[in-house]
Amino acid sequence: MSTYGHLDTDAHDVDPPGPDTRSARPAPASRTVLLRRATAPVALTAVMFLLAFTLGSTTLVTMQEVLAFAVFATATNLLLGQAGLVSFGQAVFFGIGSYTVALGWLHWQLPFWATFVLAPFVGALVAIPIGLVALRARKLYFALSTLAFSELAYQLAESRYNFTKGANGVFGPFVPTALTQPRTGYLFLLAVTVVSLLLLWKVNHSPFGLVLRAIRENRERVQALGVNVYLHQVAAFVISGAFCALAGAMFVIYSQSGYPELLDWTTSGWPVFMAVIGGMGTFLGPALGALIYQFGHDQLVLYFSDWQLVLGAVLLVIVMFWPDGLMGALARLGGVIRRWWKGRR
Amino acid sequence: MSDETAHDILLSARGLVRDFGPFRAVDGVDLDVRSGTIHSVIGPNGAGKTTLFRLLTGILRPTAGSLEFAGEQLAGRPTHVVARRGIVQAFQTTSIFPRLTAHESVCAALVSKHRRSRDLITWFHRGLAGEASQVLETVGLSDVADEQARALSHGDQRALEVALALAMSPRLLLLDEPTAGMSPFESHKMVQLVQRLAKEEQLTVILSEHDMDTVFGISDRVSVMHQGRVLADGPAPEVRRNADVMAIYLGSEA
Repeated sequence: MSTYGHLDTDAHDVDPPGPDTRSARPAPASRTVLLRRATAPVALTAVMFLLAFTLGSTTLVTMQEVLAFAVFATATNLLLGQAGLVSFGQAVFFGIGSYTVALGWLHWQLPFWATFVLAPFVGALVAIPIGLVALRARKLYFALSTLAFSELAYQLAESRYNFTKGANGVFGPFVPTALTQPRTGYLFLLAVTVVSLLLLWKVNHSPFGLVLRAIRENRERVQALGVNVYLHQVAAFVISGAFCALAGAMFVIYSQSGYPELLDWTTSGWPVFMAVIGGMGTFLGPALGALIYQFGHDQLVLYFSDWQLVLGAVLLVIVMFWPDGLMGALARLGGVIRRWWKGRR
Repeated sequence: MSDETAHDILLSARGLVRDFGPFRAVDGVDLDVRSGTIHSVIGPNGAGKTTLFRLLTGILRPTAGSLEFAGEQLAGRPTHVVARRGIVQAFQTTSIFPRLTAHESVCAALVSKHRRSRDLITWFHRGLAGEASQVLETVGLSDVADEQARALSHGDQRALEVALALAMSPRLLLLDEPTAGMSPFESHKMVQLVQRLAKEEQLTVILSEHDMDTVFGISDRVSVMHQGRVLADGPAPEVRRNADVMAIYLGSEA
């Protein structure tokens, strides 16, 4: 990364799952192209569905966590990869999503389903003022102010004991019994993940998404083309916040609690790491990063007491050698294999 | 060369001033640009040409002065508002979208022109492919439409700059040294493009340029700037005969 706010990955030309960014040009045989492009995501969803019936309970529970983080990382990557905005404050919305479910139950006895649906709206609502303030700053200062908001939210949640139960967090039987079963919980979260990723993918592949990428590349130029850059960045921030909050609500099915650490800036770091590992320039990269991060973390802690050290080294290697992450590396490998295969035939 | 009385005044600046701290970069500039003409602003380095352009496009706010465009007061309005009114600049330092393709870049500009940049749910940008290809063809970039902008040659990047501006369907196009750093062949193509745009698209063009042959070859009117002021202003042949101008300009340049 050359500057803090603007991430220079070469990854833009590797966008494998959906129509890539060049899709502005209509392909000649668009229906067959669309079918071919849909194959991989549909197959992936089918595999994920079948996993529910093959994996053991422990792994399924970890997979619940992975799914929540996949949405969290993909939503964060709307800012990181598309808008070129490095936010270290997305945990604010993730935590708010969790707390919406937990506190809704604690204070107002709201049913889980109501709070689950409410969570993204609460996230969006909170994202408006934070975005309006934080986006007044550029690049590094934007990253720092989001980090400050994360810390502020954490301190607030920890100190207001009467409302939030302080550092202990809120525990309770607020998740419906059906969803506490590893398999049903996993299947429900899988469905939510698929829908969320489809929506986020559409945002990337909308006129707004195109303009957002243009802003990432050169904000002054877009301004000179008649676009109010600030408002567009705020809109992206709000959309990201909504999906981060949804991810937080998803996480509650796994954690069955809401606690202050979920709002902390270290939690804000997770989706950023996941996106870097998986590839910020790709759509599914951050989700892949979530999978690798969770399982990698579970393995690392078994063998290393200071696992963060290893994580740091891995991140460094990725940033230096694979700026487009694992997904980018895989896409390149795929290209090499395809060329080799064509050469043989 | 156009008969100046036949053209309405599209842009009229009065007493434009811009200070940077104690330094006055633009010092009371009056400028009338007539509709459908090519109007050049010349002057030695540091004369205030680029600052003047930035005042016209709203990138900088004037310290004082007024700026009327098609009957509307635009001084102090933000860039994106000025751009929507029809004043669009192609920048001097190539200011493109490095990792978007030429075609995507123009599509992004078109999305803005059609006011669809807040559209989250449709495929509107895909319907712009034809319009984008047309713009790219106008500037001669059809062959490299699918190349990333950063991979283009310098001349092609400058042409893409012009394409981005054209995509906005401007009424007034500002070109800041359009041929700077170009090979003779590239700059010849650029000059032809500007002339064609002015003639065929009825575009009003303000351009700043160092190359005097280019300036007097294509301009209807010329304003000469020196130390933030306009020294001379008038039809190109008249300005060329002005001995003062030649002394100051060529004296410092040649």
